[in-house]
Amino acid sequence: MGSDIFEVSVNFLKMIVIFLMMVQLVPLLVWVERRGSAFIQNRLGPNRVGPLGLMQLLADAVKFLTKEEFVPAKGYRFLFYTAPVIALIPAALAFGAIPLSAPIRVEAFEWLGRNWGPYTFAFQSYEIGIGIVFVLGASSLAAYALLLAGYGSNNKYSLFGALRASAQTISYELALGLSLVGVLLLFNSFQFSEIVAQQAGPMSFQFLGKQVTVPFLPNWGFFYQPLGAVLLFTAFFAESNRLPFDLPEAEGELVAGYHTEYGGFKMNMFYIGEYGHMMVASALMTTFYFGGYTIYPWLTQESVSSWFSQFTPTQASLLTALVLHLVFMAKVLLFLWIFVWVRWTLPRFRYDQLMDLGWKTMLPWALGNTIVTAIVILIMRTNWSGQ
Amino acid sequence: MMSLGPAMFYVFAAILVFFALSVIMSPNPVHSALYLVLTMISLAGVYFHLNAQFIAGVQLIVYAGAVMVLFVMVIMLFDIKQELRAFTKGLISGALKVASAAFVAGYLIGTFKDVSVGSQSASLAGNTDITKELALMLYSKYVLAFEVLGLLLLVVAVGAVAVSRVKGGTHAKH
Amino acid sequence: MPSIESLNQIGLNHYLALSAIIFSFGMIGVLMRKNVIVMLMSIELMLNAVNLSFIAFSNFTANLNGQIMVFFVMTIAAAEAGVGLAIAVMIYKKFKEINIRYFEQLRG
Repeated sequence: MGSDIFEVSVNFLKMIVIFLMMVQLVPLLVWVERRGSAFIQNRLGPNRVGPLGLMQLLADAVKFLTKEEFVPAKGYRFLFYTAPVIALIPAALAFGAIPLSAPIRVEAFEWLGRNWGPYTFAFQSYEIGIGIVFVLGASSLAAYALLLAGYGSNNKYSLFGALRASAQTISYELALGLSLVGVLLLFNSFQFSEIVAQQAGPMSFQFLGKQVTVPFLPNWGFFYQPLGAVLLFTAFFAESNRLPFDLPEAEGELVAGYHTEYGGFKMNMFYIGEYGHMMVASALMTTFYFGGYTIYPWLTQESVSSWFSQFTPTQASLLTALVLHLVFMAKVLLFLWIFVWVRWTLPRFRYDQLMDLGWKTMLPWALGNTIVTAIVILIMRTNWSGQ
Repeated sequence: MMSLGPAMFYVFAAILVFFALSVIMSPNPVHSALYLVLTMISLAGVYFHLNAQFIAGVQLIVYAGAVMVLFVMVIMLFDIKQELRAFTKGLISGALKVASAAFVAGYLIGTFKDVSVGSQSASLAGNTDITKELALMLYSKYVLAFEVLGLLLLVVAVGAVAVSRVKGGTHAKH
Repeated sequence: MPSIESLNQIGLNHYLALSAIIFSFGMIGVLMRKNVIVMLMSIELMLNAVNLSFIAFSNFTANLNGQIMVFFVMTIAAAEAGVGLAIAVMIYKKFKEINIRYFEQLRG
């Protein structure tokens, strides 16, 4: 926690900047989604406003802001207005707890005639000891936005969409949590920074009590937990209500599901929430399974900071953090592209197929993954030679 | 983090009392449920400051994220509107009920006034690895209770399905 | 009469008093409401109040047993909510209203 005014104000600024960064990424993602879908379906997509249609986002924003303010006459006005706001909060809270780059170390300096001690700023809104549990808890609150939207609209289709959404979220949360357990056992920590730090070096594990190092592979969780990674990514699709799991808003059956009655900027807030969820999911995938902000042989914290050896330590630390942040964002964008790609490739599930997949396929596989991981870790980390 | 400072404690207490009161006073069950969600989130905040970070996270996941979603879902499924008679009849019996609850609360508070273990020195603040210690305790000292609870959950799951089972549906055999 | 000092020095007693107040609210809810689901929610409120006192004791006596107890209470609460809601669904199917007085007709 901040002990003097400089630290407090930097931490405060950090929170705002990271939130704005998340929100600002959304229009870009919408553009990627629309151009990507056009590319996949052999169309052109938005290409009239600005170069490559990039200004389409601004035009959309203007359109959203100037739409008519609409509330259903028989709806619950307060709940109707709260739902889009609540849709934003869980994703923003969860995203703030994920480290986006290496911490920045600021050496002691003199300014305004007083000494400011050395600081270490984590590259995230706030650091919480139980990071993963907090992120899961915060994102489990997302169901309320859909429930409130469905109930507040006082519309049968909206209500059906909301009920489907909440049932889906609860069902897949189990598989989500269980598929994470393997990676937690592996890295033995709840803290994101600790997990990333363990993935920074070359692949190194204990084989029957002996240390084995594979110098050409990074120590990423994916190589130990491929099944867990696939299950987690699938569960994230269901959690963010995207195709092939977008039953809550299946337009063929439910008009548009829980946001049937929404228009204008309120609708846009739901979109920001959905894309925020995708970003949290991609960031978590990156952090748990793909080394966070490092790529072992070339882009580790040491090698990047050696590029900036002619700068002062503070500047070097800042530049290193920025480069590593770009690495992290590149990985995140890769996963976001996979989200888009899958959405425009796979057809939608039927509702009973969705429930069967969640309860009868993913849950047993996640349980099996947990048990096998625990047994293998126990066997591998025991020293069998008895020395 | 030690326990909350006085100002923060009173703010949290006021929020909690307001939400808890709203749960029992709202005539619309949906509003009650939503106030209960807010109560639980605020409680998670209090737990967080009382060095129970992991419990706070579990409170968010289990209570706010699962149990209360179930409540809200059931209420919305039945589409219960504003209830005309949300409270039981009878002025005298009602007054007696409130009085008895107030008596219980007053009696408890009166008893707690003499509790003298509340010294700040013996708090968990210095202990950094609470979650790990918690896990070790859960799987060694309390392992039998843990297993029994697992069994209980299984029985409850089967029981809930058996009670609310319907004929037909998409999974019917014929 | 509590002195100013005892109001400013937040200790275990304050948390226990808060927990007692919330518990009594839950009790009033169970006694006064007619809707089964709201009664179930009031029970959850009481369980949460007890959890708060467990956590407070655990913190101020540096003893983790209290936190373990909260785990168990949470599990029981989830189980209770599951069964309670299933019964509420049954009542609603039979009588199209969730009122506690229909409970006595659920025989056999």
